[in-house]
Amino acid sequence: MLPSQRKRKITISSLSFLFGFSFFPRRPLAMDLMHHSSTFLLPTIPSDHRPSLTAAQLRLCADGGANRVYDEMPRLFPQEDASDVRRSRYKPDVIKGDMDSIRTEVLDFYTSLGTEIIDKSHDQDTTDLHKCVTYIRDFAPDLDKSNLCILVAGALGGRFDHEMGNLNVLCRFSSLRIVLLSDDSLIHLLPRTHHHEIHILSSIEGPHCGLMPIGMPSSSSTTTGLQWDLNETEMRFGGLISTSNIVTGEKVTVRSDSDLLWTISIKKL
Amino acid sequence: MPRLFPQEDASDVRRRYKPDVIKGDMDSIRTEVLDFYTTLGTEIIDKSHDQDTTDLHKCVTYIRDFAPDLDKSNLCILVAGALGGRFDHEMGNLNVLCRFSSLRIVLLSDDSLIHLLPRTHHHEIHILSSIEGPHCGLIPIGMPSSSSTTTGLQWDLNETEMRFGGLISTSNIVTGEKVTVQSDSDLLWTISIKKL
Repeated sequence: MLPSQRKRKITISSLSFLFGFSFFPRRPLAMDLMHHSSTFLLPTIPSDHRPSLTAAQLRLCADGGANRVYDEMPRLFPQEDASDVRRSRYKPDVIKGDMDSIRTEVLDFYTSLGTEIIDKSHDQDTTDLHKCVTYIRDFAPDLDKSNLCILVAGALGGRFDHEMGNLNVLCRFSSLRIVLLSDDSLIHLLPRTHHHEIHILSSIEGPHCGLMPIGMPSSSSTTTGLQWDLNETEMRFGGLISTSNIVTGEKVTVRSDSDLLWTISIKKL
Repeated sequence: MPRLFPQEDASDVRRRYKPDVIKGDMDSIRTEVLDFYTTLGTEIIDKSHDQDTTDLHKCVTYIRDFAPDLDKSNLCILVAGALGGRFDHEMGNLNVLCRFSSLRIVLLSDDSLIHLLPRTHHHEIHILSSIEGPHCGLIPIGMPSSSSTTTGLQWDLNETEMRFGGLISTSNIVTGEKVTVQSDSDLLWTISIKKL
């Protein structure tokens, strides 16, 4: 039984749309425990197979992510007027990035609706997603963000270097909960500073999963709840990494001496 | 394959593009597909007992060990459909590049091409601008790199440190016909593929 969830939703968009919401409080232990759950994947509107964007507290588009929102949102609601969908339901609060991907008519459309446009074209050292995550991290500094979770839709597929850049954002902001989403998979970082309990919602995710030592090899990782559990197992690129693993129940635990990426497949509804 | 040749008979197309070998743990191939290619003479290698390696790993092993007397100094293995889909599959495919770092293996998707640049060599990458680029990247997969140096990129590296959690080179741009790379660590090179 999962603890109740206080909803604090912040939406930012990377390639497409990002949103975030509150999460479980941490319980202090010898090493802090982090809980993870994918309840954000549950459809809240019966006719809508996508997670609810309207519940997000803040929605951002990272540059060309606005193109995707503009083009694709109306397709989810083919019975409705495209402008109404864009205007009333799925308007980003902020569009931020170096503005080299967003189409002019899309920029004009959202500008006229009051979306805040933050042009960071002078900054070529960080990706558009990085810029958006920074915005969220620094947004409303007096706000309690202890339960912040940032959801990045459209984070995978497309150009491989973009994908790697998105993974790197997870690593660079390792103290923030950021979840990368694609149609097939969900990814988040399991920082080495914590033991992890991952609650599996088998109606929407799994059974295929994996653990990857991103950036640094791991001398010792231990899991429970997987078909091929790790037991102080060494993992590294060029050697063993855990892919095509299977979750066997409702809970997976992970601890490691290295930051790991956790990935699980998302079920088609 | 038949969808690429809609004017032609599907069976004829499939016969033309018959794989020589189908290898793996056989938990994904459909029965009618397996039967079809078996009747055409494709060699079926069932490795379902081996759950320690991915299907791609099994295939690369096959190629590496195939016809041992053959000169394979110019061998290049091209993997289509290597990206997209499940993320753990993608990472497993990248790991095959790392595990067989002495072989030339190129992963392909609709959008990108990836191969490993082993730290044991300096590298010259010849850019065919009609079909690839300009977007590219260099990624220290597996280990940080204390020092990488490049030429031919818009944002060249100059004994630059790269690591996940810090700087990695993404959304870079090739500026000409040649890129050179040297590094103290294995790097993944990726370049975008142009839509024709």
